[in-house]
Amino acid sequence: MNKDILNQLTADEQNAALKIVEAAETMQVSPTFRWDLETQLMEKYKTQRQPTQGWFTKFAGTLGWAFLAIGVLFLLSWTIRSLVPNLSAASNTTPMNSFEQNVRAGNICRGPLAVAHNYSVALTNQAKTGFITLDEQESIGELRSLVWSPDGKQLAIVGNTTGTGNIYLTDSTGSSLQPVLANSELGYLMDAAWSHDGQQLLTWSLQNNTIVHVMNTDGTGLTEIQLGLQMFGTPQFTPDGESIIFYGADSTSAGLFEVSLDNMQTRTISTMVEDESNYAWSPDGTRLAYIEMDRDLVKARIIVAEFEAGSQAVLATLPILKSGYSIPDSANLSWSPDGTSLIFDLGRSVTDRAIYLVHMDGTGLVKLADSVYAPALSADGDCLAYISNKQVFLLDLTSKNATPLFLADLPTGRSIADYRLDKLQWGAELVP
Amino acid sequence: MTTLMNIKTQYPTMDDAHLAQQARTEAFAELYHRHLTSVFRYHLAHTGNTKDAEDLTSQTFMAALEGIDSYRGTGPYIAWLMGIASRTRLRHFRGSRPEVPLDAALQIPTPSLPTDKAAFQRLQLDQILGALKHISSDRAEALILCFFSELNFAEAGLVLGKSEAAVKMLISRGLQDLRTRTSLPLEVDYE
Repeated sequence: MNKDILNQLTADEQNAALKIVEAAETMQVSPTFRWDLETQLMEKYKTQRQPTQGWFTKFAGTLGWAFLAIGVLFLLSWTIRSLVPNLSAASNTTPMNSFEQNVRAGNICRGPLAVAHNYSVALTNQAKTGFITLDEQESIGELRSLVWSPDGKQLAIVGNTTGTGNIYLTDSTGSSLQPVLANSELGYLMDAAWSHDGQQLLTWSLQNNTIVHVMNTDGTGLTEIQLGLQMFGTPQFTPDGESIIFYGADSTSAGLFEVSLDNMQTRTISTMVEDESNYAWSPDGTRLAYIEMDRDLVKARIIVAEFEAGSQAVLATLPILKSGYSIPDSANLSWSPDGTSLIFDLGRSVTDRAIYLVHMDGTGLVKLADSVYAPALSADGDCLAYISNKQVFLLDLTSKNATPLFLADLPTGRSIADYRLDKLQWGAELVP
Repeated sequence: MTTLMNIKTQYPTMDDAHLAQQARTEAFAELYHRHLTSVFRYHLAHTGNTKDAEDLTSQTFMAALEGIDSYRGTGPYIAWLMGIASRTRLRHFRGSRPEVPLDAALQIPTPSLPTDKAAFQRLQLDQILGALKHISSDRAEALILCFFSELNFAEAGLVLGKSEAAVKMLISRGLQDLRTRTSLPLEVDYE
């Protein structure tokens, strides 16, 4: 096994790890399978290496099929219209089309939607009919995270090029990219957090995850702050700007921590928060919501804490039963713009996730959609954006029987990334 | 004629990133030889079934061969390959086959071992794979990537979309879960 890994484990962990590795080493690839696979790969390899002989024939064939398909579709369409003459007129009045028209016209779901997928970043076009990939020049490098400024007008994008970190800013149109840090010596940068006045950015790198770096948005005034804890992800300033909260670990446990930036005083908020996207400040900055995964009681708890008063309440719980293929995890917790509800996704894999809405008035928890993830509420609160099967959809939250509106396919991206890096975030409305 | 298999000898010392970036398709055979076992163990750990693991391993390498030109060299090749393996696995579990019962599954070939030892190993592997299904998916995935596929923390982090430190914590917690929440005996036998 990888000795570097073994050396980083405690003695107890090493013992357990060695048992697993011993079992893993009994898994041998059979010679028959190896032979079959190599034969298949050789066939495919030869096919890939063949020059483009006969391209005209292939092109003509494809064209023929395309014409045939168009003809059949035209005939089918004509038949349906003849049989149901009022169909097209009636469909224009359905709620879905009304929602779609309002979205495209910019009457609702205003503001750009940013998407992170496969290490790249894109913004919706103005008509919300597709995504415009930012960074065609690839100056940002491999995307790690993106976050809108508190006023929703600037997007901070964190990426890395061969291990050196970059932070760029762009506006709501994505028209230009301004470097804050380019090819920084800070190392592989992971996240950025905005100060509440939008004047400063905080970041951290894999090179040393016990310190954070704060700088002005023009890249000046770079300072280093020791945390005394390990940072794992998504730092956020507290509303008073004097501390940060983040998912990290002290010497005994991982969880959600608060560290004062003045005196490094540390407070453990919860050791049952298990992911960097499971906590969020309310829009007015008075409450902190977070999700605890209680594996012993097999429950997920959605908790809201009054930050100044120190009180907290459990808003809802969800069973996380140990059944099926592994047990679920939660992610992407965020508030509605009016602070009356919370939204998040929970599931066992990319194909087995659902989006939930929790009302702050204690009326409970609603499952909004199945087989979806990465929920994001628009600034006007009318629209829920989410990802399903590599496509982005919008759901009309003002209608009880809304049909999801297909927005666009996810951009192709740079290379394959885990679905947990897929994020959607709404910016502020464009002001002409 | 150049074939996939005899290409192997042309790049004995070159690292993964250089192979994938500079030689593209021609270097695929070498990369295949280096990582076949990692990919196969990854799929077998998840499915607990040799036949499914072989199917998924085939699909992974077919997709990798098709897409090798899209590998940009911005991360380790093994992380890129295991990303494909992960997506292939998720597609497999979507729809009709959400779960393979372990007790009906394991058929691990261990021809060179005495029968009793092979049976013991099979039982132990069966127990470990069963236990992995009762801890959180993040932790199980981290354990499989690091201990079955032999990725380091940084490489596993790229596959999981987590920092290196976060992967280390997932491993620590995963090992703890396996010991405390399952009946898995993970103490080392001191002989």
